[in-house]
Amino acid sequence: MQTSSTQTSAVAHLARSPLAGVFVALAVIFTLSALISPYFLTPYNLSVIARGLAFVGLITIAQSMLMVLGELDLSLGVIGGLCGVISGILMVRLGVEPYSAMLLAILLGACLGLLNGLLVTVLRLHSLVLTIGTAGIFGGANLVLTRGVAITGIPRDVHYLGRGDLLGIPVPFLIMLVALAFATFVMLKTPFGRYMYAIGNNQAGARMLGIKVDKIRLLVFGVAGAIAGLAGVLMVARLGTAQPSIGETWVLAPIAASVIGGVATTGGIGSPIGAIFGAGIIAIIENIIVLFGVSPYWQGIVSGAIVVLAISFDAISRRYLRRDA
Amino acid sequence: MKKLAMLLACAAAFALPLAASAQDAAGTTKKDSYRFVVVPKVVHPWFDKVNEGAQAAAAAIKAQTGSSVEVIYSAPQSADVVQQNQIIDSALATQPDGLALDLLDPSGNRASLEEAQNQNIPLVIFDSIPPEGMAIPYIGSDFCEQAKIAARRLVEVLGGEGEVAIMQGVPTAPNHSIRAECHRQVFAEHKGIKVVAEGIDNDSIETAQQQAAAIMQANPNLKGWVASDAAGPIGIGQAIVEAGKQGKVTLVGLDNLPEMLDMIRDGVADSSSASQPELQGYWSVMLLWAQATGAKVPGYLDTGNAFLTKENVGG
Repeated sequence: MQTSSTQTSAVAHLARSPLAGVFVALAVIFTLSALISPYFLTPYNLSVIARGLAFVGLITIAQSMLMVLGELDLSLGVIGGLCGVISGILMVRLGVEPYSAMLLAILLGACLGLLNGLLVTVLRLHSLVLTIGTAGIFGGANLVLTRGVAITGIPRDVHYLGRGDLLGIPVPFLIMLVALAFATFVMLKTPFGRYMYAIGNNQAGARMLGIKVDKIRLLVFGVAGAIAGLAGVLMVARLGTAQPSIGETWVLAPIAASVIGGVATTGGIGSPIGAIFGAGIIAIIENIIVLFGVSPYWQGIVSGAIVVLAISFDAISRRYLRRDA
Repeated sequence: MKKLAMLLACAAAFALPLAASAQDAAGTTKKDSYRFVVVPKVVHPWFDKVNEGAQAAAAAIKAQTGSSVEVIYSAPQSADVVQQNQIIDSALATQPDGLALDLLDPSGNRASLEEAQNQNIPLVIFDSIPPEGMAIPYIGSDFCEQAKIAARRLVEVLGGEGEVAIMQGVPTAPNHSIRAECHRQVFAEHKGIKVVAEGIDNDSIETAQQQAAAIMQANPNLKGWVASDAAGPIGIGQAIVEAGKQGKVTLVGLDNLPEMLDMIRDGVADSSSASQPELQGYWSVMLLWAQATGAKVPGYLDTGNAFLTKENVGG
């Protein structure tokens, strides 16, 4: 009798969790992939997925934090690319000690994020529109600095951060997990996080409650920029070169991942954990498309259809779990 | 009887090493099926021709040997080295019998190539060159010579005088950057030729069209164009037609995509210096198969260039 009531309470708890649907969708896609492809569950393939997820995952964490505030930063990928290039220039052309160069580049990412935040809060600009512009500026600066040519000769000391494994787990994935733990703790367990949700739900109301809205928005833009910078320098360590194209594909996927993971574009709802589940779904789709040898011309249709199915499954399973509870 | 047994034993003793050596001889390892993966730079019609050649080679091997050969064509949706590495890494997880690649950036692709070598998966690079210090067989035409054929033709048509522009493809792609550099070398040999602008199209026809239109606006005295990738001349040709400069601006194109051939037929382009993608795909699969059988393969295989004009492209 007690066991039955515990089970009911667990289901009720799961159903109440906004992560239930996306988690079930992720689990279904993972299981189906494992059943269909004999290569999917190999340690090498899982590490390929984890390593790929790490970089987009970092941008997804940053974007989901901003989305909870009701903001969007379309320049995060470009900030990552510019920070990667700057770290390469510092290491190779200016001879700066590699880890210091990486830290300086991450600091630059924070400054660029803060710049976005300042323009949004001081000039009352819409973050989506503003960051389309700043993405152009940061991307242009990247091209001016590199002339489109990669910076080679990144010291081997730092390659470990992008290519290495710790207990069989890719190092960038572990770094992403640390960032995820940090963001989740701040957002769910601290007053600062509660203020973020309050601002995302009702900015005017939050101001009336005495929350320092602009200060918090500014700070989150800065942190998001720093996380994007971290993704950029880790990618430089992964490639062994500072590619001007880093970050070009980090624009839409993190937003899509966040939405799949239950983060509302209007703000106030969702968490970085849900967003990472969403990113996990996208990473698995990208992987299985190659494992199954899907024609490149069909890839868009296949991945789009799986995303639609995942979102539908998320909605249906949430409804079903609620009814069950 | 004992003598006969002894004789047979001796014969067997001699035959065994011979049989063993025949089994190990280069090119004699045989499998019932092979699975090769082809990863180009990006989804692009030029690489469709590479894929056609690769599929033709698979059919040829099957017809000649009876082994089934599957060629999986897996292309990045954009010319992004990060995305290309992700595809290569995922392809390696399927343990193919060989991997043929057109590298977006040899240094940026190095980690994935090293992983393939660690897994003893045969590699071939086409339309590009291997990263420095890595011994990987590669296939392609002489990129520099291909560009010089185009640039020399433009100089000839312009009578050795005039303002010209160069369209780069993906600047980090070695074949594209080699071609751009060789265009510059030819133009530098002619005092009357002045390079007034260079665009970057990133292997996109749309970008090439936009860049070419802007460059022609900014340089009204521009007399001629050369390109460094297959998408470039198609975009330039569209820009020339839209600007009403057909006959005033000479385009010497690159490669043999259907649009390029149409532009030569229509007189939008003077000619084209073409690599042969079908041959690159065909020989990529052949070299992968040869490696999978244990045969030694050449370090470099030249598939040559063709010079296409209105006279030889056909109706």
